[in-house]
Amino acid sequence: MKKNNMVCVNNFSLALGDFHLNQICLDIEEGEIFAILGPTGAGKTVLLESIAGIYEGEKGVVFLDGKRVCDSAPNKRDLAFVYQDYALFPHMTVMENIKFGLKMKKIDKNKGNERINELITLLKIEHLMNRYPANLSGGEKQRVALARALVLNPKLLLMDEPFSALDPKTKEQMYQLIKKIHEAFGCTIIFITHDFNEAQRLAFRIGILIGGSIRGVCESQALFHGNMEKDVEDFLIRKEINMKMVSNLN
Amino acid sequence: MNIKQSLRKISFFDVITILIASIVILFILSVVVMLIFKGIASINKEFFSKEIIFALTLSLSTASISTIVCLLFGIPTAYVLTKTKIPFKRFFEVLIELPLSLPNLVLGLSLLLIFASPFGKMLSEAGFRVIFSKAGIVMAHTLVNLPFVIRMIKTAFRSVDKRLEFIAQSLGASKFKSFLLVTLPLSRNAIVGAVILAWSRALGEFGATLMVVGVTRMKTETLPASIYLNIATGDMGAAMSSAVILLIISAASLFLFNCFQKDMR
Repeated sequence: MKKNNMVCVNNFSLALGDFHLNQICLDIEEGEIFAILGPTGAGKTVLLESIAGIYEGEKGVVFLDGKRVCDSAPNKRDLAFVYQDYALFPHMTVMENIKFGLKMKKIDKNKGNERINELITLLKIEHLMNRYPANLSGGEKQRVALARALVLNPKLLLMDEPFSALDPKTKEQMYQLIKKIHEAFGCTIIFITHDFNEAQRLAFRIGILIGGSIRGVCESQALFHGNMEKDVEDFLIRKEINMKMVSNLN
Repeated sequence: MNIKQSLRKISFFDVITILIASIVILFILSVVVMLIFKGIASINKEFFSKEIIFALTLSLSTASISTIVCLLFGIPTAYVLTKTKIPFKRFFEVLIELPLSLPNLVLGLSLLLIFASPFGKMLSEAGFRVIFSKAGIVMAHTLVNLPFVIRMIKTAFRSVDKRLEFIAQSLGASKFKSFLLVTLPLSRNAIVGAVILAWSRALGEFGATLMVVGVTRMKTETLPASIYLNIATGDMGAAMSSAVILLIISAASLFLFNCFQKDMR
């Protein structure tokens, strides 16, 4: 049975100075893990922020769970965003960062504490609760950002290159963790990456974004199959060669 | 050896700039030293005279009230100018900053014209008297300092990462809550700095105050007005007492401001 669309980007165009997103069309199903793959400067972050409703397009529209995303206030959108540099509140401790959403939504204290305990056990951050973000490593910050994002059990989790600043070992742990989180909470996840290995390992489907346009959407295992336009092939081949070189070196 | 090596590294350009900087330092130092020496000599019974105490109390109270007013009006205005989309925003920004480039005397004159008009008289009849009253001093300080406070707070608000505000809102915070819990705490140091500077500027303000309330002994006599009055009547001791008090307050304010700036860095 076909699932409902959690995100529907319908012919969305946006101009930000010299940069343009051109007639983006995307349908992302409820519960799906979707990767937006593209080179640096392709507009991946702008697209993700547009899905979150930060930018209103000049043409087209983004629907979130059937509603126009820009029609509702950010606090009513039921989404969570994890930025590349995690964007934790620097003046709050880890505990205060995680509790922020619970306080704003006035969630019952016992229920909230239960939720926090569940997350800190899953993310293994019990020992960090009284620290400030400035005193955390990249991996720790990411876990805290994930806990903060997931504490309200959002329908949609948006992640902007969440693993780019992590070392290979931590990255591997985080891949497992994201899969666990997806299994446990069942939220729709859209993440940005320029690493197609990462995209293939985590996502069900991948959208390739080059020069502000979606150039193709495919099942993650079919990334290198099928006919693609030359610049898309070039991007993928370059990446493939790089990956082979790295694995040979290893 | 290290000194020799360091000297060898100094270029002609360095020598010229060091020379110019030395002249600046000597110039400012001479002013401060003169104030301190003459000030110490003037510390006698005049230092705690009724008149000086009155001027000090009036200055402290009006400067404090005007700083609070600047903060109460400055924070929302800075928010509107940095965080909202309003038409003609750039025009309003220039308009609000215009008093910064005008002499305080001109600002005072315009206040005098407003409050001496039928509108001002109407306000006066309704109980809000500005001309020749303490309210006028507060009004003059506010007009001089408000653009300055708004500018400083605007800079602070602009430096707060917009993504943090969006994340706060996506986690359920209303715009007001995200402002209160994220934007404001992250701008805290700059706001405290603005308060300290605005307060010390208000203490030393003379031009605008002179135009609005005049200089009447023991009535509208702030510390700078006291210096003016006592110099005019040849009472150098009393004038120096006020000057020394202003110097001490300014030095303390500057020290506090630098502490907050250091904290910000």
